[in-house]
Amino acid sequence: MTVIEASSQALSLNQRIRALVFSQEGVLLLITIVAVAALSALSEPFRSVENFLNQGRLLTEIGLVALPMTYIIITGGIDLSVGSIFGLTAVILGYTWQNLGFPLELAIITSLIVATIAGFINGWFIVRVGVPPLIMTLATLALYRGLAEGIAQARSARGYPDWFYQLGQRDLLGVPTQLWILIVAAIIAAIILARTPFGRSLYAIGNNETAARFSGIPVGRNKMLIYAFSGLMAGLAGYIFVSRVSTTRSDMGTGLELDVIAAVVLGGTSIFGGTGSVPGTIIGVILIQLLKNGLSLTGVTGDSTIVVIGTVLILSILVNNFIQRRSGRMSS
Amino acid sequence: MNPKLRLLLVLVMVLGVFTTAVAQEEKRWDGADDLPVNPLPCPVKEGETPEEPPAPELKEYDGGQPVNPPDLAGKDIVLVDVPKLIGIGYFAATTKGMQEAAEELGNVTVTTDAPTEANIDEQITFIDNYITKGVNGILFAANDPVAIGPVLKKALERGIHVVGYDANSVPEAREWFVNQAEFNGIAKAMMDSMVAEIGEDGAFGIVTSTFTTPNQARWIAEMWAYTNKCYPELKWLETVEAQEDNILSFNQATTLINKYGDELDGLFGMTSVATPASADAVTQAGLCGKVSVVGLATPNAMRPYVKSGCVKSVVLWNPVDLGYAAVYVMRAVVDGTFKPGDTSVEAGRLGTLQVVNGSEVLLGPPFIYNAENIDDFDF
Amino acid sequence: MAAITREKFQRSAAASSADILKRLANQEVILLAAIVLLTLFVSLYEMGALGRAQPRFLSERNVVLVLQGNAYIAVAAIGMSLVIISGNIDISVGSLIGVLAVVGGNLAVWLDKNSLPVWIAWIAPLFLGGLAGAVNGFLVAYLRIPAIVVTLGMLSILKGGLISVTGGEWIKDLPTSYFLSQQRPLSGLPEMLGNPEGFLGYLASVIGQLPVPVYAMFILTIAAALWMKYSAFGRSVYAVGGNAEAARLSGLSTQSIVFRVFIINGVFVGIASVLFATQLSIIQSTVPAGVELLIITSAVVGGVSILGGTGTAVGAMLAAILLSAITAALLFMNVSPYWTKAFQGVLILITVLADIVRRRRQARQISG
Repeated sequence: MTVIEASSQALSLNQRIRALVFSQEGVLLLITIVAVAALSALSEPFRSVENFLNQGRLLTEIGLVALPMTYIIITGGIDLSVGSIFGLTAVILGYTWQNLGFPLELAIITSLIVATIAGFINGWFIVRVGVPPLIMTLATLALYRGLAEGIAQARSARGYPDWFYQLGQRDLLGVPTQLWILIVAAIIAAIILARTPFGRSLYAIGNNETAARFSGIPVGRNKMLIYAFSGLMAGLAGYIFVSRVSTTRSDMGTGLELDVIAAVVLGGTSIFGGTGSVPGTIIGVILIQLLKNGLSLTGVTGDSTIVVIGTVLILSILVNNFIQRRSGRMSS
Repeated sequence: MNPKLRLLLVLVMVLGVFTTAVAQEEKRWDGADDLPVNPLPCPVKEGETPEEPPAPELKEYDGGQPVNPPDLAGKDIVLVDVPKLIGIGYFAATTKGMQEAAEELGNVTVTTDAPTEANIDEQITFIDNYITKGVNGILFAANDPVAIGPVLKKALERGIHVVGYDANSVPEAREWFVNQAEFNGIAKAMMDSMVAEIGEDGAFGIVTSTFTTPNQARWIAEMWAYTNKCYPELKWLETVEAQEDNILSFNQATTLINKYGDELDGLFGMTSVATPASADAVTQAGLCGKVSVVGLATPNAMRPYVKSGCVKSVVLWNPVDLGYAAVYVMRAVVDGTFKPGDTSVEAGRLGTLQVVNGSEVLLGPPFIYNAENIDDFDF
Repeated sequence: MAAITREKFQRSAAASSADILKRLANQEVILLAAIVLLTLFVSLYEMGALGRAQPRFLSERNVVLVLQGNAYIAVAAIGMSLVIISGNIDISVGSLIGVLAVVGGNLAVWLDKNSLPVWIAWIAPLFLGGLAGAVNGFLVAYLRIPAIVVTLGMLSILKGGLISVTGGEWIKDLPTSYFLSQQRPLSGLPEMLGNPEGFLGYLASVIGQLPVPVYAMFILTIAAALWMKYSAFGRSVYAVGGNAEAARLSGLSTQSIVFRVFIINGVFVGIASVLFATQLSIIQSTVPAGVELLIITSAVVGGVSILGGTGTAVGAMLAAILLSAITAALLFMNVSPYWTKAFQGVLILITVLADIVRRRRQARQISG
C-alpha cells in the first residue's frame, strides 16, 4: 500500500462527501430537513409518528407515478396522460367487476393490463411514428379520460368485499399497506436506474439520443418499456386509490400529471433530460406532501399553501442552480 | 393510414357502441343517476281531487356516532368547514352564513378551508389534516358521497362531530346532514316553473356541470321521474356538460339553441354557473321570450336577466341560511340537545327545522326568485 | 445543420413547380381541410339523416359561435406559439387569464363608479400581463430555471393568490360599456350592401354578426404571422428555438430574445383575458380549469413543434377554431355526451398524426 494510493483514496472520499452535500439531492434533503424541523417546532400534531405514517399513505399514489416519470423525463420525454390512465384504470376495474361480472381479482388484473397497454400505446406512437412525447400524451390525456367517461357513463362501482380495502385503508406491520408497495417499488426503481445498463441507457438517451443509438443501445425498445411502465404505475396508483376511497369515478386523477411533474423536477431531474435520480424524486414527493400537511396544521389555508408550494418550487431550483454553478466552478 | 392505428380507432368505436347499447335499458335522461326516485304529487288542476302527498316515511336514525366525544356542552368549540371547493360565489355565501351563526352563538369558531378545485382526493386530504390538527367538529359538503366516507368515519372514531350540508355523504359517515331542499322538491319547482312558461307540450334542453356531480345527477333523475308522472307530453331534448366554466356553458347553451332552432322552448341551468351563462346565450341570440331559462342560481348573478325580463323564475334555497343552519345543528349536537331520534332542531333565526329521511335536517322548501322579490336578497 | 436542411429544402422546393402543391400541404391546409370536411359532414348528416333542407350547423348564428367559441383561446395560443417556437412552454396562462380578468373586472367597476373612462380596464390587463410575462421571462432567460418549472410554480402562486384575495366573490354590476366582446362592429353591413340575396347575403349576415373577439383573433393572428416571418426579431425566435447554440454563435442574444418572447406572450394573455372577461355579464373569480391545456393543444395541433423552431400563429388559430367546431359538431351529430371527450381525443390525435406523416414524407423527399 503506497502513500499515493492512500491519498488518492482520501481525496476521492472527500470529493464524494462534497459531491453528496452539493448534489441536487443533498441540497433538497437539507431544505426538507429544515422545513420539517420548522414545522415540527410550530405544530405538535405534525411531529407525531402517526401523522408521518398517514402522510405516507396519502403520498403513495403520486410517489408511484413519479418513479416512471423520473425515467421518462431523464430520457428527455414527458407523460401528461398519467392522470387520465389513473382514472381509466379505476373505471375499468369497477366496470369489469360490476357490469361484466368479472371476479374482483380478475378485474384488478384486467385494469392493470389496460393501464399498461395505454402506456405502451403512448410509447409505440412516440417511438415508431415519431410523435413528440408532449403532443402524444396531450392527445391521450383527452382520449383516455374520454374513454373513462364513456365507459363509466357517470356511474360509480361501490360496495367491494372487505379484503379489497386492505391495500388502501389498513396497515401491515404498523405501516400503511400501500406504503410498503411504494418503498419496494422505489428501491427497485432506484437500483435499476443507478446500477443497471438499462438505467444508464436512459441517461445516455437523454443526453444524446442519436449517439445512444449509434453506440448500440436499443433506444426504441427502452423508451417503449418506460412508457408502458408509466402506464402500469399510473394504473397501480389508480387501483390503490379506489381501495382507499372505496368507489370509482371517471374524473379520478384529474390534474395528477402536474403534481407528479412538480415533484420530479423539484427532486432535481432536469426537464431537458440527462440528469435525475429516484432518491431525488422521492424527496421531492415527500417535501411537497409534508409542506401541504404541515402548513395546514400550522393554520395556513389551502389557497395560501399552494402559493407557498409554487414559490418553493421556483426558489429551490434557483438555489440549486446557484449552488451547482458555484460548486462546478470550485471543482474546476 | 397506418393499419394498426385504424384497428385502434375501430376498437374505440366498437367499445363506444357497446357500452352505449348496454346503458340503453330503462333509459333515463343523460346526466341522471340510477338511484331510486320519489316524485312529488302533480300540481292540482281544476275539478281534480288533490293527490295525497306520500306519507312521510318513518325512517330510523341511520347516521353514525362519534366514539366517546368530549363533553363540550356550552363550552367554546372550534369547527372547520370543508366545502367542495373555495372560490365560487355559492360557497362564499354558505361561509358567510356560518360566520353569522358563529357570531350569534359567541362560543363557536369556524374556519373555511378547502381545495381550489372540486377534487375528491384533495378534499379528503384537507379533512385528514384537520383530524390530525384536532378540531371539535367538521362541517363538509362532499364532492363524492362514498369516497369521503372513510375519512369521515376516521373523524367519528376520534370523537369529532361530523355534520354535512349541501352535498351528502353515505349516512353512516356523519351524524346529520343539513338538506337545503329535497331533491324531488327542487325537481318539482324546476319542472312546474318551466311548464308555466313553455306549456305542457314544450321541448327543452339541460345545461349541467358534469354528469358525475352527485347533486346535479340526483336532480335530473327526479326531474325525469316527475315529468314522466305529471307532464308526459313534455319533450326532453338533450343534456350537455359544461363543467363549472362560464364561457363553455355559454357555448354549449348557444349550440343547443342553434341545433334545435324553433323546436327548443326552454333551457334548464343546473348550476349557478350554467344558469346565468344560458340566460346570456338566450339574450345574445335575441331570443328572450322565445326560449325560457329556468335554473338554479344565486340572485346576484341572475339580477340583470330577471330585471330585463328574459328570465322569469330562478329556483334556489338561501345558501347563507344553509351555512347558518349547519353551524346551529352542530352546536346543538355538541351540546347534546339534538340527539338521534329527535324530530326537530332549533336553528336561531330560522326557527324549528324538521328531521327527514332518518338523519337529515330539512332547511325548507326551495325558493323561487322573480322580478318582485329578487332585490330582497344579496348573495 | 438545421439551417442547411432548410436551405436545401427551399432550393429543392423552388426548383420544381410540381412541388408547390406539396408545399401547400402544410399543417394550416390540413387544419382548414379538417374544418371544411367536418362542416360538410355535419351538414350532410343534417340534410340526409334528419331531412333538413337547410343545415342548421351552417346557420349564421352557429358559424359565428364556432368562430367565437374559442377566440380568446386562439389569441392566447398566438403567444403560446411564440413561447413554444422559442423552445419553452408556459403552463401558467390559464391562471394568468383568471387573475387578469378579475383585475380588469374590478377596475371596470371602480372606473365606472368614479366616472372615469371604462376602456382603461381593457388596456390595463395588457400591461399587467406583460409584467407577469416579464417575471416569467426573467426567471427563465436570465436565472436559467426551466420554463416548465417557473410556470408550474407561477400557476400555483397565481391561482392560490387569486382566491386568497377575492375569497371567491364573483364580479357583478359591471358597467354595460365594459362588454367589449358583445359588440358587433359591422352589424350594419347587410343594410350597407342593400340586403343582398343568396350567398353574398349570407356572408354579409355572418360578418355582420361577428363580435369583437373574432376580429381580434383574425387581426392579431395575421399580424403575428407576418411579423414572425418578416421581422428580424421573429426570425431570431425561430433561430433560438431551432438551435440555441447556433443562434448564440451567430451573434443573437438568446437571453434577451427569450425574455422578450415571454413579455409578448404576457401581453397576448392580457388581450385574451379582456376577451374572456367582457363576454358575459358576470366574471367568475375562479380560473377556468384546463384552459392552459386547451391553449397548448391549440398551439401544438396547429403545427408548432414542441421541439421549437417551427410553426405559425395561423395554424394555432385554425386549431382553436377546429376544436370549437368539433365540440359543436359532436353535439349536432347526436354523439352520446358520455363519449364526446373520447371523440375529441381521437380527432386531436388524427390531426397530429396527419402532420407527423406529412413531415416525414417531406423529410424523405429532401433526403431522397
